[in-house]
Amino acid sequence: MKKRGRGMACMWYPIGFTVAANPSAATVKVNTDGTATLLTGTVETGQGALTVLGQIAAETLGLATDDVHVVSGDTDVTPMDTGAIASRTTYVTGNAIVRAAEKAREILFESTAPLLNVKPDQLEARDKQIQVLGFPSKSISIADAVQHSESIVGNPAIGSATYNPPTVEMDPETGQGKPFNTYVYATQIADIEVDDETGEVEILKIVAVHDCGTPINPMLVEGQIQGGISMGVGFALQEEILFEEGRQINPNLTNYIMPTSLDMPELDVGLVDNYDPTGPFGAKGAGEPTAVPTAAAIMNAIHDAVGVRITTLPATAERVLGAIMEKQELEQAAG
Amino acid sequence: MATRNKDIQQKTEELITVEESKAPAQQPLAIPTDNPVAYPLELPQGEARLRTPAVGQRARRPDGRLHGLGQTQYIDDITFPHMLHAKILRSKYPHARIVSIDTSEAEKMPGVMATLTGAEIPENSFGPTYQDQPVLAYPIARHCGDGVAAVAATSEQLATEALEKIKVEYEPLPAVFDPLEALEKDSPKVHGGDTNIYTSKVIKKGDVEKALKESEHVFHRQFRTQMVEHVPLEPHASIASWDGNGRVTLWTSLGRITLGREDLSRTLKMPQSKIRLIGTVVGGNFGGKNEITTEPVLALLSKKSRRPVKLVFTRGDEFISSTIRHPFVMDYTTGVNNDGKILARKIRLVLDGGSYCSWTGTTIGKGSILAPGPYDIENVLVEAFAVYTNKTTTGAMRGFGAPQVCFAYESQMDDIAHKLGLDPLEIRLRNGFSENSLSPTSQTLQSVALKESLAQAAERFGWKENQA
Repeated sequence: MKKRGRGMACMWYPIGFTVAANPSAATVKVNTDGTATLLTGTVETGQGALTVLGQIAAETLGLATDDVHVVSGDTDVTPMDTGAIASRTTYVTGNAIVRAAEKAREILFESTAPLLNVKPDQLEARDKQIQVLGFPSKSISIADAVQHSESIVGNPAIGSATYNPPTVEMDPETGQGKPFNTYVYATQIADIEVDDETGEVEILKIVAVHDCGTPINPMLVEGQIQGGISMGVGFALQEEILFEEGRQINPNLTNYIMPTSLDMPELDVGLVDNYDPTGPFGAKGAGEPTAVPTAAAIMNAIHDAVGVRITTLPATAERVLGAIMEKQELEQAAG
Repeated sequence: MATRNKDIQQKTEELITVEESKAPAQQPLAIPTDNPVAYPLELPQGEARLRTPAVGQRARRPDGRLHGLGQTQYIDDITFPHMLHAKILRSKYPHARIVSIDTSEAEKMPGVMATLTGAEIPENSFGPTYQDQPVLAYPIARHCGDGVAAVAATSEQLATEALEKIKVEYEPLPAVFDPLEALEKDSPKVHGGDTNIYTSKVIKKGDVEKALKESEHVFHRQFRTQMVEHVPLEPHASIASWDGNGRVTLWTSLGRITLGREDLSRTLKMPQSKIRLIGTVVGGNFGGKNEITTEPVLALLSKKSRRPVKLVFTRGDEFISSTIRHPFVMDYTTGVNNDGKILARKIRLVLDGGSYCSWTGTTIGKGSILAPGPYDIENVLVEAFAVYTNKTTTGAMRGFGAPQVCFAYESQMDDIAHKLGLDPLEIRLRNGFSENSLSPTSQTLQSVALKESLAQAAERFGWKENQA
């Protein structure tokens, strides 16, 4: 008989390396037509990071996403970056980009302030204009500002900067310290069915609510969460490398079973409204944490459905059925 | 398009409709002969990319369209004139001394242009924490995925055949596969010495033993997790090309090119200024592509053959020779009061650390710090050990130990709630972190949104309405 169950799990996860320095550098150049180029040493690994980094540069310069072209991933061309690891790209590389773009923007403020008869600190970059704070009708387009700065003043709008999250070393005896500058939080809830005659688990729905600080691009964060859940489902129910005398016996996708789109349940993804003042425009990160609580939520749902606690992953049908039979035997023995 | 995920299906259908309505009226252009894909040249951008302010926009990825059209160039799509293909011979045993390697028969095969063994690598070691991993194993192989020799030939087929001609004489050594057995005093030692423990971590706050004695209930359970692979769609891949000025360029699926160049400089013993790494579009990383693998081998094969050399892992190579996720053995003891308040948590973690350290230092660090869970607990003791075994190298994988410990701490939270007759939501809200909570390392936490995520998830799920 199929038994319905539900289970929740929450988690916390840090952004960046554990104490160790993990800096990023960035260079931003604004072109004379009001578009811009961003140089970053990270690479696109499929998560959409370059789109997010471009949005961060655009925001700082008052431009649109499409106005910024991102150049990445070439040690001859791009500056130092610790790379696509530790959910650090939006936060660490993003912070470096904000600082680099601010330097380029500052050059434009200094070059255009005399044209507008104000001081540089009275200016802001917004909606593709350099405009006076509190009096936006007094403005100059960013394209004109760059042309003026580059061709008349002789000061091209280019900025480079770095960022490294501040940490405090951990005491070797007690581990006490500040290993990371910030963390994200999340809760996932699974609705499942367990067939108590076969042990097979079917996931009907997963609700996932994550904190990533400000979502720079909500669509890409949702994509990360959906992908992370699929890894969590495989970790929970299916995937396992098997060994015989130290030799892998299922190193292929015929015998190493991963979830496909057909194994994915209905997903309901939500983001918590949050802002981290230390991140670029309040952002933290979203890469790894999306895969963290899924298996725990599913195991709690199995317990809710059939009353067995799975203590070894993955919860294959054989393992779940074994636990159900063991429980039935204990109950019968107890009379 | 049949998918059980109604949300995604609906969104996909909406996107397709929008896409069609915005496509230019002109005839799609066809790319000549070798590429049958026809597509409009004007990019249907979507408004979000054109709007200011940029932050918060659901801006589409410019690379998405190229992926969809099959125009993204992954390394397998890149080719150069006279390019060779490399293959790597793997160890026959999980632990063995390599007595000799004879590549002469392979070299005699027409079309085989170069071979390489570990003894020819200028500095045959790498690793992000400890440099305990050889580029090609020599003189000891420590797991079946260790490479022992490489071949570059004019075709993949020929390179594969040449591997069979390489004669390796092994002296098998005793091996250990279970992390708990590896902890025992008389177990075979993977890297010599008197212990297989190669890194450990302690997190200690308050007085856990005293608090456990004072707790009204004490829960104990052991949890275990398995070894899993990242399984990226694109396996590890690189091309190396050594030019006439003695400068080498590598196109690589590596996710960290700055540090990859440092590692290459070290293993090849040449200045960083003579090495160029181009990080191509990566078809999935998930932590598995965070350190060099075959790049030094390809660079040296290119130097010897004076031709570009490519290697794309087969799915089998990807499983046995790339890194995988650490299996954990986790003992959790938690003391709580009748009201569900957690007073103490004592945790012992044993990480199956595989044959080499790789990213174990980060995994044990994050795993230990995160192990008590996102809860206000005044008394915490975490003791974690990583041990060598003669199995696949365990390294970085999405979450660095967090999915393992989350499975344990959250399973136990429900055990506690069940025993005390508390709602699982309630016990989490009672113990969960808030703004300015102190972490297990006594860090003051800021921008904490745990309870907000619990509340919103419960609301979306209808947790309270559907009480059993």
